[in-house]
Amino acid sequence: MFKRIDIGRCRTLLAAAVVFSMVLGVTVSASATIQGITGTTFNLVARTGNISTSDGDSFLMWGYGLATAASMQYPGPTLILQQGQTITVTLRNELPAAAGNVSIVFPGQIVTASGGVQGLLTREAPPDLTTTVTYTFVASEPGTYLYHSGTRPDLQVEMGLVGAIIVRPSLGASYAYNHANTQFDREFLYLLTEMDPRIHRSVALGMYNQVDTSNYYATNWFINGRNFPDVMLDNNIPWLPNQPYNCQPRMHPGETVLVRLIGAGRDPHPMHLHGADFAAIAVDGRTLESAPGQGADLQWEANTIRVLPGQTVDVTWTWTGQGLGWDIYGHVAGDPLEPGEDPTDHAKPFPVIIPPRDVLTFGQFYSGSPFLGGAGELPSGHPGLNAFGGFFYMWHSHTEKELTSNDIWPGGLVSFMIVEPPGVPIP
Amino acid sequence: MRLKARGKWICLVWIVPVLLLLLGAGTARAVLTQCPAGATWLTPGEPGAGDVVCMHITGGDGFTYMADGHEQYIFSFGRVAPGTPDAQVLTDYTLKATFPAPTIVMKEGQELYLTLTNVGMVMRPDLFDPHSVHWHGFKNAAPIFDGLPEPSPTPNMGASITYYYKPIHPGTYFYHCHVEAAEHMQMGMIGNVWVLPAQDDLPNLTNLNGFIHTTGNKYVYNDGDGSTLYDRSFAIQLTGFDSNFHDAHIAVQPLPFAAMKDTYPMINGRGYPATINPGSILNRDNFAAQPMNAVISANRGQKILLRVSNISTTDFFSITTTLGIPMKVVGTGAQLLRSPTGQDLTYDTYVLNTAGGEHYDVILDTASVPQGTYFLYTTNLRFLSNNQEERGGLMTEIVIN
Repeated sequence: MFKRIDIGRCRTLLAAAVVFSMVLGVTVSASATIQGITGTTFNLVARTGNISTSDGDSFLMWGYGLATAASMQYPGPTLILQQGQTITVTLRNELPAAAGNVSIVFPGQIVTASGGVQGLLTREAPPDLTTTVTYTFVASEPGTYLYHSGTRPDLQVEMGLVGAIIVRPSLGASYAYNHANTQFDREFLYLLTEMDPRIHRSVALGMYNQVDTSNYYATNWFINGRNFPDVMLDNNIPWLPNQPYNCQPRMHPGETVLVRLIGAGRDPHPMHLHGADFAAIAVDGRTLESAPGQGADLQWEANTIRVLPGQTVDVTWTWTGQGLGWDIYGHVAGDPLEPGEDPTDHAKPFPVIIPPRDVLTFGQFYSGSPFLGGAGELPSGHPGLNAFGGFFYMWHSHTEKELTSNDIWPGGLVSFMIVEPPGVPIP
Repeated sequence: MRLKARGKWICLVWIVPVLLLLLGAGTARAVLTQCPAGATWLTPGEPGAGDVVCMHITGGDGFTYMADGHEQYIFSFGRVAPGTPDAQVLTDYTLKATFPAPTIVMKEGQELYLTLTNVGMVMRPDLFDPHSVHWHGFKNAAPIFDGLPEPSPTPNMGASITYYYKPIHPGTYFYHCHVEAAEHMQMGMIGNVWVLPAQDDLPNLTNLNGFIHTTGNKYVYNDGDGSTLYDRSFAIQLTGFDSNFHDAHIAVQPLPFAAMKDTYPMINGRGYPATINPGSILNRDNFAAQPMNAVISANRGQKILLRVSNISTTDFFSITTTLGIPMKVVGTGAQLLRSPTGQDLTYDTYVLNTAGGEHYDVILDTASVPQGTYFLYTTNLRFLSNNQEERGGLMTEIVIN
C-alpha cells in the first residue's frame, strides 16, 4: 500500500539535497535562463571546432566564435540586444581555405554591409584570417530572430554557422514585446537544428567533392547545439567546450515562462510541450495582434507548435496544477496552502494505489513520490536525479524519430521542463 | 513467408516458458485492477454514465494485416473485458493488442480510473519493456499520471498501474505509450481520447447568447454560442508504419531508427481500401486486431465533426476532401480556436496540414452537398499507397445519403 509522503519531512530532505548538490555540483543546479552576450558591437570569427553528440560521437563543425575566445561555438553566440540600438557585427574568417568565404545574414533586419568582398547575398570574408566584414543594423523591433551564413548556406549552416538574436523591447526586460500581455517571469531558448553526419565526415577528411547537400538526410537533432540528455547539463561545462548553451527550463508553479523557438536548420519540427498548453504570442518577431498596439491579443493555445525552417515562434507557458482532483502536495486537512495552490483540491486524497516498487520501473527523474516536493524510497541503483521532488515535463519533437541521436535512443530533440516546488532556488 | 515462419518458431520456443515464468512470479499479486465501487465500466467509443468511470487496458504485442495483405507485427493496447479476474488477465489477453487502441470517450468532469496491465511482448521474450499511457494534451497534468517513463513509475511485464484523470477541458485528444516513444509509437501504441463538453447536457431550450440549445445537441466545446454544433463525429487518426522497422522487430534485429520511413500510411489503423471495410479485420489468430474502419457517413444537411490527429513518428500529412465544401477548423490541441479577448480564430480551409502531435476539430457542413460517395485523402500523394501497392494508404470514403 502506498504511503503518503510527509511534506514537512521532505523540506528537511530538500535542504539536505540543496547542500548535497552544491557540494557535488550536480546537474540539478543547471542554470535556467538564456545565456548570451549583450552590447552593441560584436566581433565574431568563423572557425573550425569539434562537438560531441549524445551517442558518444564527435563531429567537425564550422561555427561563429567571439574574437576574444579561442574557439568557435555551436550555435554561435546568442546576441541579446536592446530595441532601438544600432548594432555592429564584424566577421573574420579563420576557416580553412577550402571552406571558402563566409558571411552573416540577419533575417528580419535591415543591414548595411561593408568591407570584405561582395558575395551573392551579402558581403563576405575570405579565408585570409585578416579581412573584416562589418554589418550594421538598427534593432528596431523586439523579438526573437536568428543569424546565419549567407554564403553557401546549404553547407555552411549545416556545418554550424548559425545563432540566435534576442531584441528586448523598450518596455522592459521582463516583456517579450511592447505590451503587458507579453510579460514573463523566465525565458528559455530552443534553437533547433539537425545534422547529416556524412557531410561532416567528408569535410573533416577534406573530401569536399564528396559533399552532397542535395540528398540531405538528417539523423541527429540538436537544441541549442546539444542533444538530450546533454541539454540538461549546465552551461559552459568543460567537457563540451564548443557547446556552451544548455536547455534546462525550470520554474515554480504559477510562473509564466517565455519559450523562444527558432527553426535554425532545414527541417520543420513539431515541438510538443507536456504538462500544459502554451499560448503562441508571436511569429518571426511580430506579435499575433488584431491591430497595432494590441500586443498578442490573437494568441492561441495548444500543446504542439510547429517550428518551420528559418522561422521563430514565441510562446508563453504556465503550469498551476489546478483542477486535477487531488492535492498535488499531498496535504491533509489543516495544512497551510502552498503559494498559488488550488484551494478546491486542498487535502483531497491521492486517488489510486501505487503498486509495490518491485513490479515497477522507476524513471531517473522520479522522486519516489507522486507529490510536488515529495520524496520516497528509490530502488538501489536509481540515480536520484530529482532531488527536489520537482515535476518533470518532456518538451520534445513529436516527430518521434527525432528523439534519437544517429540511431541511438534516447537523444535528439528532447529536454525537460522542471516545475520545482515553491521555495526551491532556481539560478 | 520466411519472416512469418521465423516468428512462429520464436513463439513456440519461448511462449511456454515465458508464460510459466509470469505465472510463477505471482500474477495475481502484480495484476491489480483499480476501480471504485459503483463506478461505470466504459465501452470503447461511448461515454459512460455516472461521475466515475473505469477501463482496463493491456499493453502488449500482436499482429495486424496491412491493406496489401502484408502481415505486420505491432505493439499496442488491448481492452480487458469488465469483470475479468486479475488472475485471468495474463492468460487471456496476451497477443490481444488492437490497432488503434480502444477509443476512450468521457464527459467533462467525469473521473476515469484507467488500469494498464503490461501483458508482455510474447513474440519478443528477449525484451523487458514497461509500458505507459500518455494522455496527449492533458492540461495541468501531474507526472505520476502523464505516462512519461522518465519522471514516473511504469509497470513491468506482468504488472499493472492505474492512471487517474479528471478532465475539465473538453476536446479531441489522443493517447499513446511514452516508453521509448520512437519505438513504441511506431509499433502502434496509439488510441483516441475524446472529452465531451458539459454544454451537451444543458437543459432543453437554454439560450446560449441567442442560440437555443435543444436536448440531444452535441458540441465540440463549451462555445457559449452553438458555433461548434455537430451531428455525427468520426475519428481520423493519421498514422503510418515503416514495414522495415516492424519486420526487423519480429525478426529480432537491430531497429532502424535513423532509417525510419513510413511505407504504410493509415487512417484509424488501416490503409485504403481497408479503411472502408465496415467490419473488423481479423489477424492470424482470428482476433479482431483492427476493429476500426474510417468510413464517414451522414445525411445531407448534417454537420460532420472530424476528430483529426496526427501521430506519425515520421511525417506531416495534409488531407482534403472531394466534397467541394471547406473544412471549418474550430479547434486545435483540444482548445476552441478563440482568443483570450473572445475573437473568433476559426478558419475555413480546403487542405488541412497536420504535424505529428497535432490534433484538430474540423466541421463539414453538408447542406450544399448532393447525395453521393466522396473521398477524404492525403494531398501528399506518395502516401496514397500501401507500400508498393498504389491506390491505397491515406484515403477513405465520405458517404452522403
